[in-house]
Amino acid sequence: MEQEVGESLIQLGNSDGSNSSSSDPVTRVRKLLFRRMLVGIKDGRFFLGTFHCLDKQGNIILQDTIEYRSTRRSSPCPMEQRCLGLVLIPSSCQNSCHVDCSVEEQLSLLKV
Amino acid sequence: MADKPVYEEASIDGQPSKLASIPASDTTVWADASPLLQAACAGLRDGELIHGDNFNLFAAMSALEIMDPKMDSGIVCTYYSIDEAIENGAAPIPISLDSTIDVCRTIDIMDHLLACEAAWHKGHSVAQTVFSCIYLLRLDRTAPHALLHSYCRIIRATCKAVVSVVSDARTHEEEDLFTLTYGLPLNGDGDDKCLSILNAVEETISRQLRACKATSSKRRLPEDLEPLQSNPNLEEGFCKALLCRLRFRKHFFHVLSCMKRPQGRGLESARKNIASCLTELESILKSADFLRSCFDESCEGDIDDKTTASGFEPIGFDAMLNSRLSAPTPPRAIKILSWKKAVEYFVKLLHDLDVICSYSLDPHLESLLRFVVQFQKSQPDLVARSHLQLLLVQDGKLYGRDPFFAVINKAAALPEATKNHDIQKNESFLQLGMLVMNLLKILCTNAAWQRRKLGKFLQDWRVIYVQLELAFRNEYGEVSSSSNDENTCMKIFQHILLWVEEQTFWIAFRFLILGFELELYSTGEYCMVYWYLYAVLIKLAEKTHLMMAVSHDTAKRKGKKKKDSPKDLARESRIPPAVLFLQCYICLAEGLTMMLAALRNEIPVFHGPSPFNTEQEKFVQHFELLQRACIPDHVSYLSYKESTTHARFSISHLHFDPDASYV
Repeated sequence: MEQEVGESLIQLGNSDGSNSSSSDPVTRVRKLLFRRMLVGIKDGRFFLGTFHCLDKQGNIILQDTIEYRSTRRSSPCPMEQRCLGLVLIPSSCQNSCHVDCSVEEQLSLLKV
Repeated sequence: MADKPVYEEASIDGQPSKLASIPASDTTVWADASPLLQAACAGLRDGELIHGDNFNLFAAMSALEIMDPKMDSGIVCTYYSIDEAIENGAAPIPISLDSTIDVCRTIDIMDHLLACEAAWHKGHSVAQTVFSCIYLLRLDRTAPHALLHSYCRIIRATCKAVVSVVSDARTHEEEDLFTLTYGLPLNGDGDDKCLSILNAVEETISRQLRACKATSSKRRLPEDLEPLQSNPNLEEGFCKALLCRLRFRKHFFHVLSCMKRPQGRGLESARKNIASCLTELESILKSADFLRSCFDESCEGDIDDKTTASGFEPIGFDAMLNSRLSAPTPPRAIKILSWKKAVEYFVKLLHDLDVICSYSLDPHLESLLRFVVQFQKSQPDLVARSHLQLLLVQDGKLYGRDPFFAVINKAAALPEATKNHDIQKNESFLQLGMLVMNLLKILCTNAAWQRRKLGKFLQDWRVIYVQLELAFRNEYGEVSSSSNDENTCMKIFQHILLWVEEQTFWIAFRFLILGFELELYSTGEYCMVYWYLYAVLIKLAEKTHLMMAVSHDTAKRKGKKKKDSPKDLARESRIPPAVLFLQCYICLAEGLTMMLAALRNEIPVFHGPSPFNTEQEKFVQHFELLQRACIPDHVSYLSYKESTTHARFSISHLHFDPDASYV
């Protein structure tokens, strides 16, 4: 399900389906600005914040970030969270990147 | 957004399961954006960024970089959390099943906590110092271990008391780290009972000490008491070592409680407890020999650097566990004070507190100012200075007792009767009261902060003078009428105006002198500094003399009926000692100015121009705040040059060759 939505995001275009530049990934990522983004990093932590900036190397800046982290190496365990503010996540330590997507949007994406 | 902690299955690769633990919201899901982002990155030009309208590159530079050890305090080190550390045995309870080792390690913890506390007082964060102790972070679990539990309790209560004193003083100094506790468990339930818990433990150990002494002298005691630890040869030493440590904490806590009492009521009791503290600290130092020798193994490294008396590393401390709590960014690496230095610190602190407690709460502002200046010469630390400030200014009154208008009234040599005059409700007089209060607070801060504040403060004093003068002129511009009350008001204005001028010059004098203490002047600038001091001192002496003449008049008027005896007349013509003292300063300043100017004018080696600022620029830089407040009036770089350009040594008095080089 997620993979489909992921692919749909690549194909995300303007709902009025205007010019061909709307299928340009840069434009589509621009539309993701200010959306809530969840970035997982290699040591197991997650950072949830507002998507603020992306550069060519893939480094991401998030605003109003919250850090989620496990309290134990082993499972199961509760997660701790704390507020960090403006955060830069280098592409070298990124593991995953998700954007929150309304169910309707997903459905409309599937239509496209 | 997930507000409650959620459980997740740990698996580094199992992203979907982890994601389930951070739900997006009720109506949204997480969609994988990585392929899209990768495609976008490929499509960007070099240096191109995707950002919104609110993006600012300069602001973005302040973003915390994840996985950078200097900026990311969440990077996992030894343990993921305090609880994990405890589960892995980082802070065992009891510390050892061997009671002798248990006692020894407990003493190590006590010593290291003392060292941490001293490091904290000196200006580091409490999270990295005292609260690097895992036992303190989870105090409730120490309950089965009476000794550790009681000690941790009193440490926590003491830290809370000290934080409260420093916060109340609100000196806003560079040691701001002090009052930020970042959610550390400083407030504990039942900490008010910490003294009784401590007393109980102390009582038990005292009995154990008596018992072991009785055994050694072959006397039998009726009570059947379990000894402190298992080695009878070491029992006495350990009991004594523990007792002095527990007693020190008890007395120190009492010092803090007594000094907190309003209007200086607890100062005498505080002094007694300070004396006891110092005695116990001596015993603590003496116990070091015993603690180092009680086991055959000796510790590695230099004993003087160690944070414990025994020289062994303490168990149960980890400063990194707290790094997430102390601030968003990792704290800079700090060095905990050595145990010896920590004891020295507390000895000094207690001596400084003793000076404060011995103060007689003199209602005369001049004596108080002299006392504070003298006290600051011993370079007291933040905790001592906060206590002084809280003693001096409480509830908007001096010592919590004397309203500031009454204090000003006395300082301005006005009769006792005017201290309750309605004129004090006038806006300008209210502001003046605030200025005096702020002056006292500023004088209790550290030298650097103090000088900065005093410099800015000059402007406020100048403004209040102008305001008071304006108010005076508006009301009494014409010749005074016959009304008695108006005469009193006029007199109040006149005295206070004069006093405000005197105070302003005193502040200017302090400002300049602090520059020497802080080594802010280079030797090439001494000449102009002494010259400016000379100018300020002349005005200060003038105002002080006027003030004393006016107060003498007031006193004379009281005793109108007595005839002027020859002795009184002689006293009148004598210059008061305070003014004579200032005149000594004036002579010194003048002499130094002229000597330095002559050296510069006559001997080439002293005359080199600086490759940086010109002399005039330096003059402006150093004295800008004073000049802006016109303190004193008609003083400028030009007048300085005029006074010093022609300074010469008279050749007939001295025998030196002006052409020789003096290196």
